[in-house]
Amino acid sequence: MEPDNDVALDIIITNVVCVFKTRCHLNLRKIALEGSNVIYKRDFGKVLMKLRKPKITASIWSSGKIICAGATSEEEAKLGARRLARCLQKLGFKVKFTEFKVVNVLAVCTMPFQIRLPEFTKSNRPLASYEPELHPAALYRIKDIKATLQVFSTGSITVTAPNVQFIATAVEQTYPLVFECRKIHI
Amino acid sequence: MASTSRGDALALPKVQCPNHPEALLVEDYRAGDMICPECGLVVGDRVIDVGSEWRTFSNDKAAKDPSRVGDAQNPLLNGGDLSTMISKGTGSASFDEFGNSKYQNRRTMSSSDRAMLNAFKEITNMSDRINLPRNIIDRTNNLFKQVYEQKSLKGRSNDAIASACLYIACRQEGVPRTFKEICAVSRISKKEIGRCFKLILKALETSVDLITTGDFMSRFCSNLGLPKQVQMAATYIARKAVELDLVPGRSPISVAAAAIYMASQASAEKKTQKEIGDIAGVADVTIRQSYRLIYPRAADLFPPDFKFDTPVDKLPQL
Repeated sequence: MEPDNDVALDIIITNVVCVFKTRCHLNLRKIALEGSNVIYKRDFGKVLMKLRKPKITASIWSSGKIICAGATSEEEAKLGARRLARCLQKLGFKVKFTEFKVVNVLAVCTMPFQIRLPEFTKSNRPLASYEPELHPAALYRIKDIKATLQVFSTGSITVTAPNVQFIATAVEQTYPLVFECRKIHI
Repeated sequence: MASTSRGDALALPKVQCPNHPEALLVEDYRAGDMICPECGLVVGDRVIDVGSEWRTFSNDKAAKDPSRVGDAQNPLLNGGDLSTMISKGTGSASFDEFGNSKYQNRRTMSSSDRAMLNAFKEITNMSDRINLPRNIIDRTNNLFKQVYEQKSLKGRSNDAIASACLYIACRQEGVPRTFKEICAVSRISKKEIGRCFKLILKALETSVDLITTGDFMSRFCSNLGLPKQVQMAATYIARKAVELDLVPGRSPISVAAAAIYMASQASAEKKTQKEIGDIAGVADVTIRQSYRLIYPRAADLFPPDFKFDTPVDKLPQL
């Protein structure tokens, strides 16, 4: 049976992780004391700052590198990162917003059918791996777009990839494979 | 005990049968002759026998064979090591004044493979605890050697790699052990063994078959002391449950445990969920969850020739 290409699948992006550099040394202690909504993790050498407006958690290192996680889209991630840089600027550091890069995007997609995992693993031998004792999902990796998909037997699929475009490609590539191993209700 | 004939580098005159120069001569060590197989002519005589000097007649085999020195060599795994070690002495002469032993220094043998030998010892120890046969131990050793030589997992603890190799070897031989069973004989956590397992599969570029419920039935049932009938019934139930896909997303171990529970409850030998959970390494709530999924179709799952001690409708409902 040919997979139905007209079915629109909702791919919901749940998390976007990005990094950027401020090109200046940051005094973590000062940020921890004067900043609002911050947690100082001394043994890890970083400060966590949580923003409310785009709901974002950022790890700030003293070298000026910042990792920003929790955004729901790429634009929001950039917005949040800029807002964060503005916050640091207000605290008195000479920050420059440089080298912004989205590192990882996590998206969730639900198939309208349940999936038979042992069959799926057998037909996609080297790329798919399923260890029921370790994790209930089958892991499917696509090397060229560096995407990892977790396929659950309920039909929901979790995709992580470097950017949103690759996620769409990954889902498109995987849909026919998953469609073949779907569970047909009696 | 045939004597070995080695080809010499020097051009010594080879004995040949005059009638059949191409024929390979057969050695008869008892008479010390070299005989042509084609015509039976005795070509060379008075061949020196290089077998052992005396024949060992002993009732108990391999107790003390005076013609052998040292352990059996394991050239496949070791790389052919012929160094000598000085062992701890026996008798009073080997101890000096203070009670320390003379010749304390046991020469270190094959320092390059010391870690590997250590790992082999650890593998043997682990396997003995769960009574694994020699072929699995050999396979594990081979896997470990391959991984060790590749050096891609060099940072990981050797014990973790050894445990993961043991797990893979059991799988490959068709008698898988659960991760929890391997954990029980190893000091490494299940998480770390799982991680190393995935890394090794990637490094050696192999894959393993998926586990099925039937692989564990005989072990779990005999540990619980269930008769063969119950074991066969449980195997059938678990297989049917997976075929009908009543338990999607459940680990095969949990399904097997629930099937054993159902089969034992229907027979004369009733086992509690706790007992089964103990043997299988699953929590009893997990068994309860899987049991709830298979309970509605219980009547279809039993084998047709099963003798019910407790009928299907009287099975406990949890």
